[in-house]
Amino acid sequence: MKRNAGLALVLFATWLPLSQRSPLQAAQPRSFNFENDISPLLNRFGCNASSCHGKAEGQNGFKLSVFGYDPAADHKALTMESRGRRVFPAAPEQSLLLQKMSGAMPHGGGTRILPGTAEYEIVRDWIAAGAPFGQTSDPKVKEIEVNPTERVLSMKARQPLRVTAIYSDDRRADVTHLAQFQSNNEVVARVDEEGLISVADVPGQAAIMARYLSSVAVSQILVPRAETLGPFPTLPEFNFIDRLVDQKLKKLNIRPSELSEDAEFLRRVYLDIIGTLPTPTEARRFLMNPRVDRRARLVNELLERPEYADYWALKWADVLRVDRQVLGHKDAYAYYRWIRERIASNTPFDKMVRELITAEGPIDETPPANFYKLFSKPGEMASTLSQVFLGVRIACAECHHHPFDRWSQSDYYGMQAFFQPVSRKKGPVGEMLLVTGQPEARNPRTGEMIRPHPLGGVTPPTDTNADLRRSLAAWFTAAENPWFARNLANRLVAHFLGRGLVEPVDDLRATNPPSNPELLDALARHAVEAQFDVKSLIRTIAASRTYQLASHPNETNEPDEQNYSRALFKRQPAEVLLDAVCQTTGTGEKFPGVPAGYRAIQVWDSDVSHYFLKLFGRPVRKTACECERNAEASIAQVLHLLNSPQVHAKLTHEQGSVARLTGLNPDNGKLTEELYLTFYSRFPTAKERRSAEKYLTESGSDRRHAAEDLAWSMLNSIEFVFNH
Amino acid sequence: MKQIYRYCDGIDRRDFLRIGAVGLLGIELSLPALLERQARAAGASGPKRDVSVIWVFLKGGMSTIDTFDLKPDAPSDIRGEFKSIPTRIPGLHVSEHLPKVAGQMDKFSLVRSFGHRNADHGPADHYMLTGYHPIAGFNPNLKPNNQYPSFGSVIGHKLGSRSSVPPYVCLPILHASAGSAFLGPSAVPFVIEADPSAPSFSVPDLAPPMALDASRLAARRELLASVDRYQRAAEVRANSTARSVSVFGQRAFDLMTSPEAKKAFDIAEEPEKLRDEYGRHTLGQSCLMGRRLVEAGVRCVMIDHSNWDTHFDNFTIMKTQLLPKFDAAISTLFRDLADRGLLESTLVIISGEFGRTPRINKDAGRDHWSKCFTLAIGGGGIQGGRVVGTSDAWAQEPAENPYGPEDLAATLYHLLRIDPKGELRTPEGRPIALSNDGRIIRELV
Repeated sequence: MKRNAGLALVLFATWLPLSQRSPLQAAQPRSFNFENDISPLLNRFGCNASSCHGKAEGQNGFKLSVFGYDPAADHKALTMESRGRRVFPAAPEQSLLLQKMSGAMPHGGGTRILPGTAEYEIVRDWIAAGAPFGQTSDPKVKEIEVNPTERVLSMKARQPLRVTAIYSDDRRADVTHLAQFQSNNEVVARVDEEGLISVADVPGQAAIMARYLSSVAVSQILVPRAETLGPFPTLPEFNFIDRLVDQKLKKLNIRPSELSEDAEFLRRVYLDIIGTLPTPTEARRFLMNPRVDRRARLVNELLERPEYADYWALKWADVLRVDRQVLGHKDAYAYYRWIRERIASNTPFDKMVRELITAEGPIDETPPANFYKLFSKPGEMASTLSQVFLGVRIACAECHHHPFDRWSQSDYYGMQAFFQPVSRKKGPVGEMLLVTGQPEARNPRTGEMIRPHPLGGVTPPTDTNADLRRSLAAWFTAAENPWFARNLANRLVAHFLGRGLVEPVDDLRATNPPSNPELLDALARHAVEAQFDVKSLIRTIAASRTYQLASHPNETNEPDEQNYSRALFKRQPAEVLLDAVCQTTGTGEKFPGVPAGYRAIQVWDSDVSHYFLKLFGRPVRKTACECERNAEASIAQVLHLLNSPQVHAKLTHEQGSVARLTGLNPDNGKLTEELYLTFYSRFPTAKERRSAEKYLTESGSDRRHAAEDLAWSMLNSIEFVFNH
Repeated sequence: MKQIYRYCDGIDRRDFLRIGAVGLLGIELSLPALLERQARAAGASGPKRDVSVIWVFLKGGMSTIDTFDLKPDAPSDIRGEFKSIPTRIPGLHVSEHLPKVAGQMDKFSLVRSFGHRNADHGPADHYMLTGYHPIAGFNPNLKPNNQYPSFGSVIGHKLGSRSSVPPYVCLPILHASAGSAFLGPSAVPFVIEADPSAPSFSVPDLAPPMALDASRLAARRELLASVDRYQRAAEVRANSTARSVSVFGQRAFDLMTSPEAKKAFDIAEEPEKLRDEYGRHTLGQSCLMGRRLVEAGVRCVMIDHSNWDTHFDNFTIMKTQLLPKFDAAISTLFRDLADRGLLESTLVIISGEFGRTPRINKDAGRDHWSKCFTLAIGGGGIQGGRVVGTSDAWAQEPAENPYGPEDLAATLYHLLRIDPKGELRTPEGRPIALSNDGRIIRELV
């Protein structure tokens, strides 16, 4: 998109003071600084983007550092390489740089900057001045500010942002026209390349990130619903979660939904805690239970069931990558068993993480050591642990400064250094995980050797023989660690409430703030106080009114999918859905290479060939990203449930539940009730009962077929396919 | 189809092709993407020709020195035993075993200076089907193994579906590099995992079980609508994930009941004579299916045909098995598309992952050769009867105007009115160029 030249000139006037000259004095010699004057233009016009000259291999022989993180290298590339043709001070306009940028010479990237614009003149004048790099004493951008930093906006509103760079000499300059912008929630607010925010018509919150050179800042936008409502209803607070959620809903002018009915809660809590539907007997027992504390008791019961360990082991085995292809069958299984055992025994989460990080010795005897077998490079160990246990992604910083966060290459190699000494060796007693040698990592760009230091932390005191992973593990799991407890809380919230306070769940950073920071802080504090007892955290979340809300929206919260004003619909993981199909139809499923009788959530090997599991998005565990589990729907999934011979065989199986229930219940009303309890874990409403009875009765001779039809309809309904 | 020889990596790829085997990977768009695309389509204008693609992928790698770029003057251990014959285009010769193709030479062109730098099956496949050479960490055994989205996925992602049929269809199996990579599930191909030449050919899961008669199906559908209490309720409106399942549910029924889809998949509807002309084998009937799918609105059909990996006994296998099938299928495809006025709007690309060594090995076979081979390409705005570039005397290297997978990507996107200079975004927001610096092959368009 072409920028309005007039606007550029106006902005130019406000931007120029950083170079201590006004445009009127352009004819006079002026002091340039490459990083302050030229790098921002290379950023703004996308020259150094990762799809262009910022690519690792550059573009057509011309390579810039991506987003300009390395001004010295960029200056060298422009002034020294290509036999000095890129900049030509004697005749600046003949410089390859200007010729290409302005389209005077063919340029794969097209025309980026037109002669006569302020930007063109800056580049020309810089070349004419000898294309200097500038003095090391020149002020540098220290940080940026974006204004407003916080604003409540009405729906459909627009709001321009202003970005100010603050230099090391405390000078300030408006750099809005050279900054880049991004919204973390485009459903609520978008931002264009000029920094103009456009609010949509959905209440909620968005963070708009501005980036200039290596600095980032964020502007938080809150969009309440428009209509004024009466006073916020007085609702019971089951615990602190509700108070903090309500606080936010008040600001947004949203009312939470009603409390869920027992049947809704029942199905939800079974699926969330044990990944398994209640049987009709279990459903009936709970639904007929008059005790006031029946919900809390049910949660406690579920947490002690073996399916709890099965289901949560499956979840952690995904991100901790129990990958049979890489580890081999025996080791992958031992690794999985370790994860499952830690969950079954409710090992405090911090302890489990420390065991994993510090694992060493014979791999046969130390199953968590298999984690290290997954990687060939120590940097990957560091970045995977950060992503899984801190929710912080540092992989970008392997090659360049993280574009949306504060992490530099030094932070990346500082983390890598902890794992540099990790190696494997085959010995007489099998493979050993060894930790020997210098905990130092080399930054391949600068050649600098970097001492270990955790993110934002300092190098631990070193004793050359010590395994510094121990101090790193202690740092990871310390109560003061700004990410560890938040990451755990956020992942649990995402699991139970259908959406993380931070989304994606493994991308915690200043420029992607939580939708409700007070709630995330409170949950993190709670996790620390509970000494990382995961079951206790689950109890707290499940006990909240927020978790127990109905999924039925009211007129104020229908568009809200961000603030926990109602229970969100959640896709069921492939394994859970398959188990639900098998359980409700009363038929088993055999997985290749797995003993008979195993349920899908117990199949530890994500590589077991199974069409249904693959179709419904089972992850392949090639990355530590939660996003590998694919929750997106497809036509083929729908077709499979509707038509496949496999599902048909289950519904019509002679020993299946449809045949059994039809035989056991000659009364159509009773049969209807049993089918509803089986598939939906609830009693039918009066209307549903009438309509189902009618269908069964009118089927005449073939009552069994009619029952199959009913079961088929339930199995293909939204109510069955989702957890709500 | 009977194959007695194996791929050099020892895997018998026939194993993957089980006739009528159950298997269907979905393609569809997420709802927001769908709406966005519809909105865009409503406002779209520009040249009218809306080009589809049929890619005939000759897996294993076709020997082009024995087919489209013969070297009669080369020594016998290079030129092989096949003679060249003239085609409809004066001065343009092809193999004596392609007489029918020679008669359609006005409808497509040959890029004889095509090549790239990788002569291993897995990475070369990926390179040819995405325009991107794989990077570190590539695992060819994954299925799909895409580090970058396949052309079909990009087309589906960029252009969406035209009708009730999916935009991107693979048959008779999913090629391992035909996946969507970071474009995600909304861009995965719809796979017809079944051999259209089999008498029992049908699309898996598309039709309800045979045991159900029409009246019961109608009753079921009505019953589903009444039982599914969330379907038209506030719950579905308020939950974007449920909304997309609801939309897919509708689209699944559309696909099941769509006359277009039903027609497209019902290959038995074709006149026997035309089916014979295409050839009663996997390649022939897959090409015919490709034409039917394009007619029904599919934007990209990917036909994965095996096995061209002729390390042994190249000449016998070529002249007795592969080339007669190829000659019938490809010549009929071009003629049929032209007869129906579809050639202008259907780009046909014919290539394997690479070619084969000019020098014949001790087993009378030819090994992998990626530096120079011939790409056959026609329709969709490509000028027919042209030869672009030349190979050197022994077809070892391009002699002039070398082109590669990046250039094929740029040309393909250009013909489909997708800006080759455009970008895709990974979920992390990283921009990826659509074509990796490819140049449009101007001599073709």
